[in-house]
Parts: sequence; C-alpha cells; structure tokens
Amino acid sequence: MTARFDALTLSVMSNAVAMIAEEMGTVLERGSLSPNIRERRDASSAIFDSRGRMIAQAAHIPVHLGAMPESVRAVMARKPAPGDVFLLNSPFDGGSHLPDLTMVEAVSERGKIVGYTSVRAHHADVGGMSPGSMPQGATELVQEGLHLPPIRLAPKGVLDESLLELILANVRTPGERRGDLEAQRGACAAGAAGWRALLAREGAPRMAGACDALLDYTERRARARLREIGRVSGRAEDMLEGDGVSDTPVRFAVHLRIDNGSMHLDFTGTSPRVRGNVNTVKAVVRAAAIFVLRSLLDDDVPTNEGISRPVHIVTPDDCVLDARWPSAVAAGNVETSQRVTDLLFAAFADAGVPVPAQGQGTMNNVTFGGPGWTFYETLGGGQGASARGPGPSAVHVGMSNTRNTPIESLERSYPMEITEYRIRRGSGGAGAMAGGDGLVRRYRVLERCTVTLVTERRTRAPRGAMGGSDGAMGINRLNGTPLPAKCRLELNAGDEITLQTPGGGGWGRA
Amino acid sequence: MTFSVGVDVGGTFTDLAAVGKDGRVVARKVLSTPADQSEGVANAMAALGAPGRDVTRIAHGTTVVTNLLLERKGARVVLCATAGAADLLELRRQERASLYDLSMHHPAPLVPDERVVAVDERIAAVAVRKVLTNAEATRVATEVAALNPDIVVVSLLHAYADNTHENRLAAAIRKRLPNVDVVCSADVLPEIREYERTATAVAEGYARPRVRRYIEHLSARLRANGFPAPNVMTSGGGMLPAVDAASRAASLALSGPAGGVVGAAAVLRAAKLGDALTIDIGGTSADAGLILGGEPLVEPGGSVAGVPIALPRVLVETVSAGGGSIAWVDAGGALRVGPQSAGAVPGPVAFGRGGTEPTVTDAHIVLGRLDAAELSGGVKLDRVNARAAVASLAKQMRATTERTAEAIVAIADAAVARALRRVSVERGVDPRACVLVAFGGGGPLHGCGLADMLGMKRILVPPHAGVLSALGLAIAPERREAATSVMREARSMSKPEVSALHTGLGKRASGAMKGARISAHARVRYAGQGYELDVPFSAREDGAAVARRFVTLHEKRYGFALDRPIEIVAARAAAVGKPHKLALAVKGITAQKPVRGPSVITLPDATMVVARGWTARALPIGGWMLERK
Repeated sequence: MTARFDALTLSVMSNAVAMIAEEMGTVLERGSLSPNIRERRDASSAIFDSRGRMIAQAAHIPVHLGAMPESVRAVMARKPAPGDVFLLNSPFDGGSHLPDLTMVEAVSERGKIVGYTSVRAHHADVGGMSPGSMPQGATELVQEGLHLPPIRLAPKGVLDESLLELILANVRTPGERRGDLEAQRGACAAGAAGWRALLAREGAPRMAGACDALLDYTERRARARLREIGRVSGRAEDMLEGDGVSDTPVRFAVHLRIDNGSMHLDFTGTSPRVRGNVNTVKAVVRAAAIFVLRSLLDDDVPTNEGISRPVHIVTPDDCVLDARWPSAVAAGNVETSQRVTDLLFAAFADAGVPVPAQGQGTMNNVTFGGPGWTFYETLGGGQGASARGPGPSAVHVGMSNTRNTPIESLERSYPMEITEYRIRRGSGGAGAMAGGDGLVRRYRVLERCTVTLVTERRTRAPRGAMGGSDGAMGINRLNGTPLPAKCRLELNAGDEITLQTPGGGGWGRA
Repeated sequence: MTFSVGVDVGGTFTDLAAVGKDGRVVARKVLSTPADQSEGVANAMAALGAPGRDVTRIAHGTTVVTNLLLERKGARVVLCATAGAADLLELRRQERASLYDLSMHHPAPLVPDERVVAVDERIAAVAVRKVLTNAEATRVATEVAALNPDIVVVSLLHAYADNTHENRLAAAIRKRLPNVDVVCSADVLPEIREYERTATAVAEGYARPRVRRYIEHLSARLRANGFPAPNVMTSGGGMLPAVDAASRAASLALSGPAGGVVGAAAVLRAAKLGDALTIDIGGTSADAGLILGGEPLVEPGGSVAGVPIALPRVLVETVSAGGGSIAWVDAGGALRVGPQSAGAVPGPVAFGRGGTEPTVTDAHIVLGRLDAAELSGGVKLDRVNARAAVASLAKQMRATTERTAEAIVAIADAAVARALRRVSVERGVDPRACVLVAFGGGGPLHGCGLADMLGMKRILVPPHAGVLSALGLAIAPERREAATSVMREARSMSKPEVSALHTGLGKRASGAMKGARISAHARVRYAGQGYELDVPFSAREDGAAVARRFVTLHEKRYGFALDRPIEIVAARAAAVGKPHKLALAVKGITAQKPVRGPSVITLPDATMVVARGWTARALPIGGWMLERK
C-alpha cells in the first residue's frame, strides 16, 4: 500500500468507522429487550477489516477492548463463508466468560468477505447452576452455563432455527434472549451495511491503505508515549480476596519493563489456576494492559488494534491469568480484570510514572433470578485521587463503564424495588486530594428468588497514594446483617440486599 | 405591505429581517443591549419603521438561556426528590466523564446537595407504595421555604406514569410560597428514566424565572408599540408562542444558534445545494452547524454548556470567538484570542465606545478589511485608535502591527475551525465534500481562512449574510406540538379510538392556529423494549394498521421483527403553519463579473474577504459563491 494519507483524511476515516460502530451500538440499545443491554449498555461493537484487524470499537467497556479481536480470529479459523453469522462464548475460543455472547458477521460484498462486524453483549442468563449465570462457587466451566464454540448461527445470513432453539432451550429466559440475539444480528447487519457503504465511497484499495495507516498511526502514538516515559521498570503485587470457593487470597505479581517504545509484562509469581471462577483468559489480561496504556495516551488517539502492538505479555505455564479447559471463569472477566488493572497501575507507579491512587477495584456484580426472570447489574464506586485532582465519585473504574439501571426501568421489568440509591458520603480516602466516594444501593425483592453477589475489596481496601488514606472497604448486607464478598442466597419476599461500594484511595497527605 | 419579522439577538448586534408578503427582504442591524435584550429588539423594530398593524408576526431567537447556562447564572433551585433516591443528579448514569482520563469530573450539578429535599413518598411500577400524606407535603413545603428558592423543581420516581404525588406536592408548595413557581418533571418530560427527566426538569427550573421575566418584558414592550407578542424558536427548530415559551425554558437552550442553521438550510435549498457546514460568526461567539441533504442535523438531546437536557436540538457547536474577542499576551508570552469578549459594550476599540483592548475587529481594520466608514447599527469606525491598540500589543510581541493583526485573525480562525471539525469530522463527514455557508457579521470576513484550514473548496456567502439568522426566523413556519401517554397494545385499538386520538391531539396542537397542517406520530415498541420508534398514523386507520407499519419500520431500521406484543406508548401531533414565501432573486446580478482575490467586498450588512486563490461569483439568489481553484 503506497497510498499516503494526510492527517485530516485519516481522521475523517477513523471517525467514519467509529460512527458505524456507534450506530451498531444504537441499533442494539434501541432494539434489545434486557435492561442490562438496553439501559446499561453492557455491550461493545466493533468493525474489522478483511484481515480481521480491529479498525474501530464503539468503546464503552474497556474489558472488551483487547478481547474482541480474538473472537474474530476464532471465527476466521473456521473458514467462514461470505455472509455467515457466528455466535460464540467459549473463553478458550475467542470469548471471555459465558454470559458474553459474541456475534460475528463475515461481511459479504460480491461474494467476497470484505470485513467483519462484531457485537459482544452480556446476556442476563445463559443457563448453568445459578440464575443469571454469574455463579459463586463454580469449579468448572460447564457449571457456568451453555458453552458455545464459534457456531454458524446463520449460514450466509439465513438463521439456523434449530440451532437457536437448542440455545434457547438451555437458558432460563428464552424470550428475552431471542430478542437480544435478534438485536445483535440487527446491529451486526447495520454495521455491515455501513462498512459496505464506506468501502463503496472510498474504494476498497484506498480503504485498505487507510486501515494500515490508521493502525500504524495508533501504534506510533502509543510507542511515542512509551518512549517519552523512557527506559524504566517496576514491580507490583496484589491479591484477590478469594476465588469464590475459599477465602484464601489469590496472589498476583507483575514485572513491568518499558524499553524502546515497548511495554513488557511478566506475570511470573502470579498464582496458578484456582478451583473457583476467578481464572481468566489471556485476552482479558491483554485488555487490561491496553486499558492502562490507553489511559496514558491523549484523548484523541483512535481506538484500534494498533495499540496492542507495543504490548508483550508473559504468563507462567500454570497461571490464574491463562485459564484452560475446564477452568471456571465467570468472575475472572469482571473481578480479576480489575485486579490486574490495579496491579499494572501499581507497577507504573513503582516505575515512577504518575498514576492515580487505587479506585474501587471491583465491579460489584449483583445477580437476581426467580421463576422466569433474571437480572444482572454492576455498581460504580470511588475512583482514586491523583495529583491532578480528587477522585470522581460513584463511577465505574477500570475495566467497566456500564451505566446504571434506571430505577424506573428496573422496577417495571422485575419484581424488585430500589429502596435506597445514594452516594456513600465520606467513603473516599482522605488526602491532599480526596478519593471518590462509593455508592449505596438497596434492593427489596417482592417474591422468592435467588441472589448472587460477586464482589471484591471487602477485606482489602483500595490503597491511597503518596501518603493519602485508603478508601473505605465495601460492605454487603442482607436485612442489615453483613454478608461475605462472594455468596449465593435464597431470598424471601420482602428481603433487602444492600451493597455499599468501596471508596477510592486519597492522594497526598491531608 | 405586511411583514413577518425575525429578530435574532447576538452578543454584539441584534439583527432583524422582515419578509414582506411579496417575499422581499428588508434587513436592519442595531447594537445589542445585554443588560436587557428586549431594548435591542425594540430598537430593531423601531429601525424597521413599519407600523404595528403591518407586522403579522415576530419570530425571535434568543441567547438568554444559552448565556445563563454558560455563565451558571440561573435561578436558585430547590429540588424535591423521592427519599432514598435524592442524589440522582450527582449519581447521573454512573459512567465516568472520560473513559481514559481517570481524573476527569462531570460538571457540578445545577442544584447542590444541600438544596435537595427528600420527600417521604413512593410510587412503584404498579402501585403506590407509600402515599404522600398532606402532612408530609406540608413539612416538605416548609423545608423548601426555609431554603429560600427562586423556583422549585419536583421530580418524583415514576411520575411519568403517575404524577398525582408531584401535583399534590406542587400544590402544597404553591400554597406555602404563592409567589414561587413550581416545575413538575412530568410536565417537562413525561418519559421514563429518572435521571434524564430530573436533569431536564432542573434545567427548566434553573432557566425559567429569567426567561419568563424576559419574554413578558419583551412582549409588553412590543405590545406598547402596537406589535404582536413574539414567537420564540426552540433548540429543535420549532416555533413557540410567547406564552408557551415562557414555561418551556429548557427547550430554548439553543434558540439563537438554531435559527442560524435553519436560515442557512433555507438558503442552501434555494441555491440547490445539499451538504454544508455552517458558520455564524458574530461579535462574541461563533456557531458551527451541519446540514445534510438540505436539512439541519437534529440530535435527540445532550448537554448544553455541560447541562444535560433530554430535548431535541439542532446540532450546534459554539466557541467563544467573534469580532469582539480580545487579543492578549499570556504569562508564557504567547498571543491569545478570547475567550473574553468586548461584546457590544464597550466593544472593539474601533467602535469608539470605550473599548481599550485590541479585538479581532480591530485586527481586521489594521489589515484594511473593514473599509466602510460606518458599520450598520450606526457604529462609526475609529481606525486610528484601533490601529494604536493592535500596535501596543505588537510592541509586547516584538512584531510588526500587520503581522500581529494577521496572527490575531489566524488564531481566531483556528478556534472556529476546531468547532467546524467537531460537527463534521467527528461525525465522519468530510468537510471537503461540503460547502461552507459563512454568515453573521463576521462569517464572510473569515470564510476563506476557515475553508483553507479545512481544505474546503466552496463557500456560500448567502444573501443577507449579516442577518441570516433573523431571516431564518422570519420564514420558519409556526410549529406547535401536543403529546399524550397511551400505553395500549396496538392491535387492541379500534378505528374510532385511533381516530379520536388523532383528532384530539391535532386540536390541542393547533390551538388557535389557522390552516395548520397536522402530522401525528405514535411512539411504538415491542413489549419489553426500552425505546420507541415514531410511526406516523392517520385518523382513518386502526391500531392493527399502526402495528403493521411499525413492524415494517422496525425491520427497516433494525433489520429484524419479533413475535411479541406491540405497544403504543404515547402519541404526539405537530401543527405546522405555512412557511413564509421568500423571494431571493435579484435581477441582473449575474451580469456582474467574477471577483478574483485578494479583494474586499462590502456587502449591505457584512464585509466579505476574497482571499488570494479564491474567486467570487454573484448568485442569482443574491449572495456569492466563492471557489478555490
């Protein structure tokens, strides 16, 4: 590709592709049924070129960031025909954890594949031992739900009804799933139409050149920033409070080395795979590394696969960060990803790069399920303070950025009421700059049901930095009585579950 | 001769365009009166010189709301919210201000925590969980009164479905505080999602007292001179009668800028052009807009000056860069332009009204680009002092006066170009494929500089460029809307029921309007979805027909259909008056020879710079098309 592109052209093209990805997100949000997708936007959409390289992602959810290219590669390995629509959730074959159903369409134009569109969405149930499919205490993957390697859900765009029936027969809320899957297909198709139109407008060879240039540009920006940091190294250690089966802490260690515009991460010293479900696949570790790197770059850097080129990751042979069949992984995607992010920021701090104090370091996963319904959401908390200012309150930190479920939407959809939803004042760590506050959310259930909590930072507080105080730990309660960080309970009508989410660490002496 | 008059109030000038019954345009420009915008409006009407009986309508674009949001100078609002969920404004939707900048904060809410009163009541999805007692309503009213509000906003959970508690509480507060207005969320935005509804209601409360005073004052002033009360343009390009506008403050957040884009779109259609970027440069600020296929881009909602308002609005990006923007040297020794503006008072040095600091206008004078001895509005140009002011800045910069003047203009251009970039590039639109519509007093001065920065090859300087926003207002048809909640399964609605819905809404929307065209939409979704599609319907069909149309539309928009019940959530109707005739053709104008740059052309109400490399041709509709070879 010899075509050259000036900065404005590249910027227009980058934004044009990002707009298509955003339009996909809009179709999904407006067409879907479950509040977790339509209100919380626990979903990401992305566009890939014909070689399977991610050109743009409508970014709401960092944990999907570095992980979605794996889905497209897994599909490509199955030799898709033009127009094929695949569905997958296998953590060992392009997925992350089972509730994240990823759809990939091989975009067809005149009988050829000209690109891929992909939508990953967290479904509120995919079967398994626990309503909502975010179980506590699972020890093997099959307990966590229906396990889908990349399957041709719609060969050449024609839905395989029997395959869909098979899937729907194995989940607790088939009607809602069908609607959400249809919306995912609609979103992929909208992306495909947008991508085809862009190719027609720009011409395929020119667009191919632009894709190369865009990926190179993002890579250049990332490497330039790493070179600016120089040649440094840092180490860090951190713990998860338990694997869901036992309360034995799970250890994480990293050695960070930045050298000549590359970022090397060696996780030697990290715990081997564990019995519970905080194991996670390498794609999620990569996503965390990319997120941390991205947060060091300026806002205008386009989000594409070019950013992962300077990142090199090493994990030991038997590692909680390299889950293999039959490991359970449901909590790994949401909680281990957060701990890896904390770990990496700590390593940067050790290397002398200014980064914020620790944020809440958990997603506070809450899942309810009863006859015919399941509900999942995650809760924000305090962000760590930094030299630049206090930490924001009651926001998602690190690898998630989902929105809340509006109380009104939640109450219209489920037999539940939110009896309290407020800022948890004073929970941010004190300091010259105070950490952000967590939040309080109380649910009253109106019928018998099951609740599953998968939370962290309940016994180890988010740390302050440069002499700032730690943020307050989170607390879970049933009718006022404290609960473990990770648990599953049967509830009666009228029971109340309360989560107080952690505050962020403070920065500097108060 | 009778006129439809448009009046657009900017930071420096108040522009007027009167369109006669024959479609011909008369323009006037007077200085704005920031302390009381209505004075400038009255002056503009006086300058028109038409007797009251000849003015059939006055359409008004105002920046009163935009300014008060920007300056955070709105009313002291007390918010009443359901106990247990009183932190809604701070909690927002939980997402962070920036995905990757971890220290970034959202702007502070318009109502601080200490002015939120928790109300012990609760309506749930299906039932009233806790009744709002009279005693509690009275207690809340007392607590509210102690906080000494200018206005009170009541936003309670599930009020979009059941507003009895909001109304009961509002009544108690009005009884306790008879002179204080109370805004109920269900009246501002009767839609599900508590954060968006509350935030929009709070914006309404924050802006309303000032807007109401302004509109009442303006109406009285116009009435005293025999003129009709004004219609006011909304952010979405609609047109509200004065009485309605006074209680729809949140919908006026972009009233002024929207008029400019609407006016540009009308001229663009007359010139048979499709896609355009628009730039309206006034004395204080510049507004960038986007027109695709001849229509202004309308977005469903978003933030204005960091204040979330979930009401439709014409896409406009505003930057503080205009003729009055002050040039200065910062602590690091760099030349800066704005955001401070000399505005109308004292104005640029050249205006001779007490301004001492050099502005963009003064720089243009140094560069010989403002040749007229007198600007419209009766402003005489003081060239000597303008030059002296720029020269003193040049001395600080150790540069020549000319070089400094050029730099001032280039810096202002760069700020405006960034706004143009945001409305185009960030939406995947290539500015180079668009024509730049440059208007406002400063648009034609800066058009070439901006186009060169963005690689654009064509500039339309519309007829009446200096008052185009006012012209857009003058020709915009009246547009009123009415909405109602329906909440029925579509297929269960009979033909008479649909017909009654249509007729009732149409009557409410048109009110006293004569000859209005009524269009009605049902807001329809599959049961379980969170968002609706707008499905047009007529008075002669049943619910099943609406459902069928929905299925087709849904399939077209989202690519799938579902086997689920279909709900009509709400319905709304718009009554649209006739657009005013506009005759732009100017006889014999095409005979004029093309003008090659560099050249300066004095237009009736603006000055146009044709830069080197550009050629300007007069258009049959008036105005100019500039092209770069």
